[in-house]
Amino acid sequence: MKRSMATALGLAAAASLVLAGCGSSSGDGDDDATSPATAAATEAQDPVTLSLAGWSLATTPEFQELADAFHAENPNITVELKEYDAANYDTQMIADLAAGSAPDVYVLKNLKNFYTYQSGGQLVDVSDVSEGLGDEVSGLKAYEVDGATFGVPYRQDSWYLYYNKDLFDAAGVEYPDGSWTWDDYADAAEKLTPALAATGAKGTYQHSWQSTVQGFALAQTKGASLLEDDFGYLEPYYDRALKLQTDGAQESLGTVTTNKLTYQAQFGTQKAAMMPMGSWYVATLIAQQASGDAQKFAWGIAPAPQFDSSTTGTSKTPITFGDPTGLGINPAADDDTIAAAKKFLAFAASEDGAKGLAGIGITPAYVSDAVSEAYFGVAGVPTDDLSKFAFSTHDTKPENPVNKNTAAIQNILNETHTGILSGSTDVAGGISSAESRVKSEVAP
Amino acid sequence: MVTTTPIAPAAPPVVRRGRLKLRNTLLGWTFLLPNFVGFAVLTLVPVVALFYLAFTGWNVFGKAPWVGLDNFQRMLHDPTFWVSLRNTLYYTAFHIPLTLVTSLGLALLLNRKLRGVAFFRTAAFFPYITSIVAIAVVWNMLFSPEYGPINQFLLRLGVDNPPGWTSSATWAMPAVIIVGTWREMGYYMLLFLAGLQTIPPELYEAARVDGANAWQRFWSVTLPSLRPTTFFVTVMLTIGSFKVFDLILVMTNGGPGQSTLVLSQLVYRKGFEENQFGYASAIAVVLFLICVGVTVVQFVVNKRRDR
Amino acid sequence: MAVTMSTPPPLALADRPTLRRPPARPLSTVGKIFGYVTLVVAAVAILVPFYWMAMSSLKTNNEVFTVPIKWLPTQAQWHNYVDIFTKANMATWLRNTLLLSVAVTFLQVLTGSFAAYGFSKVRFPGRDLLFLVYIGTIAVPWQAYMIPQFILFSKLHLSNTLWSIIALQAFGAFGVFLMKQFYDTVPEELSEAARIDGLSEYGIWRRIMLPLSVPALASLTLLTFVTTWNDYLGPLIYLRNPDLFTVQLGLSTFISQYNAEFALIMTGSVISVLPIAIIFLLGQRYFIEGIATSGLKG
Repeated sequence: MKRSMATALGLAAAASLVLAGCGSSSGDGDDDATSPATAAATEAQDPVTLSLAGWSLATTPEFQELADAFHAENPNITVELKEYDAANYDTQMIADLAAGSAPDVYVLKNLKNFYTYQSGGQLVDVSDVSEGLGDEVSGLKAYEVDGATFGVPYRQDSWYLYYNKDLFDAAGVEYPDGSWTWDDYADAAEKLTPALAATGAKGTYQHSWQSTVQGFALAQTKGASLLEDDFGYLEPYYDRALKLQTDGAQESLGTVTTNKLTYQAQFGTQKAAMMPMGSWYVATLIAQQASGDAQKFAWGIAPAPQFDSSTTGTSKTPITFGDPTGLGINPAADDDTIAAAKKFLAFAASEDGAKGLAGIGITPAYVSDAVSEAYFGVAGVPTDDLSKFAFSTHDTKPENPVNKNTAAIQNILNETHTGILSGSTDVAGGISSAESRVKSEVAP
Repeated sequence: MVTTTPIAPAAPPVVRRGRLKLRNTLLGWTFLLPNFVGFAVLTLVPVVALFYLAFTGWNVFGKAPWVGLDNFQRMLHDPTFWVSLRNTLYYTAFHIPLTLVTSLGLALLLNRKLRGVAFFRTAAFFPYITSIVAIAVVWNMLFSPEYGPINQFLLRLGVDNPPGWTSSATWAMPAVIIVGTWREMGYYMLLFLAGLQTIPPELYEAARVDGANAWQRFWSVTLPSLRPTTFFVTVMLTIGSFKVFDLILVMTNGGPGQSTLVLSQLVYRKGFEENQFGYASAIAVVLFLICVGVTVVQFVVNKRRDR
Repeated sequence: MAVTMSTPPPLALADRPTLRRPPARPLSTVGKIFGYVTLVVAAVAILVPFYWMAMSSLKTNNEVFTVPIKWLPTQAQWHNYVDIFTKANMATWLRNTLLLSVAVTFLQVLTGSFAAYGFSKVRFPGRDLLFLVYIGTIAVPWQAYMIPQFILFSKLHLSNTLWSIIALQAFGAFGVFLMKQFYDTVPEELSEAARIDGLSEYGIWRRIMLPLSVPALASLTLLTFVTTWNDYLGPLIYLRNPDLFTVQLGLSTFISQYNAEFALIMTGSVISVLPIAIIFLLGQRYFIEGIATSGLKG
């Protein structure tokens, strides 16, 4: 017994050495390959190859688009893509970074995990890149920690209200006009549902994600914060969602999760006349209508419904939410590579990069008239005035504040979300138990 | 090469104990070695590392500062830990006996020369090889509160207020237990089938001569002779139930609320989602200790029965 | 604490005659029909999810998940079965998966049954404790030591190679435990007799234990094969190069950020179940024939 304990401890010590070693020296292998002394000087001439993480490359063209456009401007820098799993991107990336096998540039898929990478020392300070970027780049602020910037956004999705014009016409209900509060939205859903009973469509579709309720509540309520243990601001949003569920104006959360409903099928095959959803769905819907996966119908996008009338109407700026998607640099890369990677980041956030992205139906972080023009030049994008307004005018607040507790709080709030919408708990009870759980479970 | 050497229990007195011991040790290790080398390097080292990490504040990247028992103290005051422990025990307490009974029943039923037995055995094994996503979808649909056939059937039976199953906090766990049992019974059936083959037929003949009926033969021959298999199945089933993960993930993802959140899911969340790998390791250690505790009890009980 | 658990069957078997399974007593016809009806109903019920999976493989993507559920495609999309080979690398995935499953199963069965002999039939100090350590590792959730293991494998230059999956699965404790339990049921008298006949311990393992444990070997082979075949998390963590993808990992590439090709996922799942079903159908006879035919005559 004693001897085996000693062996076990020996093994533990060996293992911890392995672990400690990789954290500090994962870049060694790369450094040996080049001569660091001359790095800065020869950077412009020597051909450099950057590796860039992406996911689902066959169906997600944005990475190749950025790589090709960048290479066209910088012929001596080649960007090679490394494919990751879309659904388990962060799990794979954490493993690769921990083992020192991650690519030079990787995507910060959402802000929830940005803190993990930044606080773990897995991101190069790119303040010099961000200083060169103007105010046109939205979402940049989110990557700032203690005055330094650790990531640069290249796309900025935000949430709209999608609506099916054909179903609105069939039901004889007025299209959204940009003046809607959430109560107007709920009224419309209640009116649409009975009128569309014959088609089997519901007034609206709310996907199972907590964002569909909490994202809007957090962004639109004055003084709301994710990090304080006061979630009272969620209450009116849940009351409304529950009422729509019980009235049958939208599928219940239980139905959505038990049948694994997808929002693409629900809106794309006309099972719902409206749907709050992120801007990424524009490109998906166009592609699905072209491929036949989605039915052909006329649709448009409207600004997200608002908390109250103070932000409604096309003369005001509607408030919505959405996390930027950014790029960060792996500190394990050598100096030459980091210099090239910084160029790549600057390009991805530039107007040129943005025009290319907009040309494939993506909402870039860089906002300008030229970018909008490129975006609305894509075949299939709705070009009515309200759609254009919704695309170009909004105040998009981040869904996830950058903080060490964000992930833990979001997990608690997700349980609150399923608890309330499944009827397992009432709204007030669910919210107060979330508040007390944040107090007791989340490190201050 | 070691040649014909009688081993310990029947050691002839000529051989000195010490030499025999050494010889047996060498012999034993030569059998173990091919597996042990791989096992020790590839599994044991990381597992031991995990035990070390449970006492640190490791966050995956870089250093792992020693924090002593902090992680375990935090667990004591973490309501989510207790909820998931309770849910895990709930799942285990029902899943183990249900699976034992159904898989043994299936094995006995399909251990005969029936026409088409190959088909039935394959059918019983199918749940285990069918894509888990398909399983989750179809069962969720069968359980669907409004449209599902199960509740339609219950309504017809006169149940006024049939359960909400996976969309209700009370009934989600029973639903998961049913699907878990359904999925794994074919797997353990296979092990029981293999075990049944090792029972010498003349034991049954002897029992028949003594006038034992089918029920008595089951209790006095089948069950005792199956004990090594039953023991193996029980241990694997216990460990498997305590570690249940992917089924919950696709069926309910821990919800609604926290009603089906289990320990291994909490380990994953704390680690990969919240980047508290030290704390996640500590929860894993507790899960391990529970498993080992139960397994040791099973060993002791099994050994006592042997006598 | 000691953890021996040999279970000699209640009767001495040294002098038993040739083994032959006694003929089952004929059931009454009514009972037989009733039994068959029950079995058929149960089999159909059990196969419902598979049926849905097969039907979904013929649907369009947005037709897969609906309320209420659809049991038949509106129009069968047979081209899914062509697309998965032409548009995706199903052939490569199948080849990799087959390669891994065969290699892992071979190693696991060989080293597992070999080591089990040491645990079951040889007594040496520390044996029981070591055995408990083996079982103990099964009790540790993999999600918890996945990252330390990944770092270790990366240091050994195993990650992003097929070797990583072989290393991950081939030396597990499962096979050792399973085989030890079966060796424990083999009466000591048989080994004794063999020793007197001049067989070495390796000879006993090879000539007596292996033939006697055919049913156990068959189940271990099948279960290991299925586990490796269907493993998702292992390949997900270790494999990045698309040329190395397994079927399960390959199918997950149909899930992209904003959409998922569920019909193709179901198509791939159907294709991936079939080889296992065939192996099972062919192999299941070893569970009846084990000890009775390959038994103690040799």
